[in-house]
Amino acid sequence: ARFHGNRRSGWREPPLAAMFAGRTAPGADVESLWRSARSARCEAKSCQTGKISTAETAVQSHTSRDAGVQTDQSKDAVQDFQQEIQVDYTSLLSFLQRVEDAVIKELNKNWKSRAFDGFEVNWTDQNETVLCLHTLSYPEAQDQNLQVTSVSWNATGSVVACSYGRLDAGDWSTEKSYVCTWNLDRRGLNPQRPDVVVDVPSSVMCLAFHPSQPSLIAGGLFSGELVVWDTGRTEDPVIWRTGLTDDTHTDPVYQVNWLPDAKHRNHARLLSVSTDGKILVWREERDGRLALAEGFAVVAQQIPRNTQLKKFAWGEAAVGVTSLSFSHFDPRVFVVGVEGGYSLKCSTAAETLALHRTGSSVPLRAPAELAFSPHGGLVYSVSCSPFHRQVLNLFLSCGTDGQVHLHSMLQTQPLVSLQLSKKYLFCVRWSPVRPLVFAAASGEGVHLFDFEKSSQKPAASIKQAVGECPVYCFEFNVKQTRLLAAGDATGTVKVWQLSSDFTEQGPREMNHLEQLASEITD
Amino acid sequence: AEVEETLKRIQAHRGVIATIVVNAEGIPIRTTLDNSTTVQYAGLLHQLTTKARSTVRDIDPQNDLTFLRIRSKKHEIMVAPDKEYLLIVIQNPCE
Repeated sequence: ARFHGNRRSGWREPPLAAMFAGRTAPGADVESLWRSARSARCEAKSCQTGKISTAETAVQSHTSRDAGVQTDQSKDAVQDFQQEIQVDYTSLLSFLQRVEDAVIKELNKNWKSRAFDGFEVNWTDQNETVLCLHTLSYPEAQDQNLQVTSVSWNATGSVVACSYGRLDAGDWSTEKSYVCTWNLDRRGLNPQRPDVVVDVPSSVMCLAFHPSQPSLIAGGLFSGELVVWDTGRTEDPVIWRTGLTDDTHTDPVYQVNWLPDAKHRNHARLLSVSTDGKILVWREERDGRLALAEGFAVVAQQIPRNTQLKKFAWGEAAVGVTSLSFSHFDPRVFVVGVEGGYSLKCSTAAETLALHRTGSSVPLRAPAELAFSPHGGLVYSVSCSPFHRQVLNLFLSCGTDGQVHLHSMLQTQPLVSLQLSKKYLFCVRWSPVRPLVFAAASGEGVHLFDFEKSSQKPAASIKQAVGECPVYCFEFNVKQTRLLAAGDATGTVKVWQLSSDFTEQGPREMNHLEQLASEITD
Repeated sequence: AEVEETLKRIQAHRGVIATIVVNAEGIPIRTTLDNSTTVQYAGLLHQLTTKARSTVRDIDPQNDLTFLRIRSKKHEIMVAPDKEYLLIVIQNPCE
């Protein structure tokens, strides 16, 4: 051991040679003190903060009362609550007798009154025009002459994503493409520089953001695969993919939707639609794979024959599905648009197996229940109204004949047929806020239709750009209801702000729509 | 009882969507709507009626509130006030 030279203890530093000599030193003894410590007095030391003085002062509110509780009460609990209240029937009866006449008089007056006809109050600033807020593009994609094939808004309504690809690629394409997202609420938004760019080896034909997780986005590829990206991840955004298996589509995927999973709240399933006639539902597996959960196949022979359909030369031909829309009131009912030009009403509860569908790990079923009267060309897009009651479920379809058909699910003939354009109509969508408004994308731009104003011509036509610029896809923003994003053939996405008459529901719009629908059905 | 009949008569009138009777504490005692909506209407309209009544009386202490009507885009809410109760009727004046 080496001892420190310590002046106080009187040691002198030993000579160097002596320091390293072997020596045994006596151990140090410490007397034990516990016996004496036991009888030692202990004193509680005070803490550093002084004693805090408290006093009862008055409360600010002098009366309190139970108001409604935020949590849902069970039915039983509320019933008990109601019964506890002592109701004095005689005084209640005399009160009602006193007021009954006055109330009935007012009710009658109201029914006959014309005082408020056409009376509308403007609570918000009226915005009369449609403005282009942003013009977004990805120059690299534009240099490769790629078109915008699909746009999607995310769950929060502040991020818009678009996919680049080619819609006129024909049957064979090895072009790579991009998925770009822009966050419109960011301060440093650069319209030429997307926040996230994902390189995809095959052309992306359709996109869909997850309905509740703002960073997940699913895309359907030209190769028939489905991929899910997480835009929050920087290294490798791919989190799930179907890969190329026996189950994958053999044709490009034209539409992808997220389906809420009834069994597992947090997991959604993916639905994909393709021109190979299959409608497939995928679930997430652990290793990043998407596995087939259930599926449907539309086969020509199994379509209910109550309209004149073109006879197919080959017997059990698959019917190419181009678009799909779920009914908002019955989650099992959906409408698909097919290449043959007609729309089909389908049900997920269908039991019959599809013909000629071997080679799939899960048996595919034939979903079609009703075929609607056809368009003159193939159907590009269908959209079910979010406002209709189950009784009169309305949907729109549009296609290459330039027409939009308004159908009720109850009858095969359309309620209204509008020739909106001489060119193709690529996309049709109902407005999420106004039951009477829908929009359709054409070769010239987006046409907004308002049944309240006119049932023959568009209320507004938004020209996407100077010159010929077909709009291939657009989406209303459900969270920020004034915005509409439209993607076109030149690779630009324009974010339009709609005027207030397209975003505010009128006083009795639902009634008008039902009236319109019933007038036409009669 | 007769109470139910009177309420039924009011409810059966053209355009009436709902009828609620609220006591002096703002607690609903009769209703034709579901519980959560009833509690919401009762609480909010009780407060509004009290405010409306105090407005009328502040302007002229000899005056008092006899009836309250709120017209909105979708329907009209009518409130008949009293010392012990409040009758709320919601009507859709569809022309």
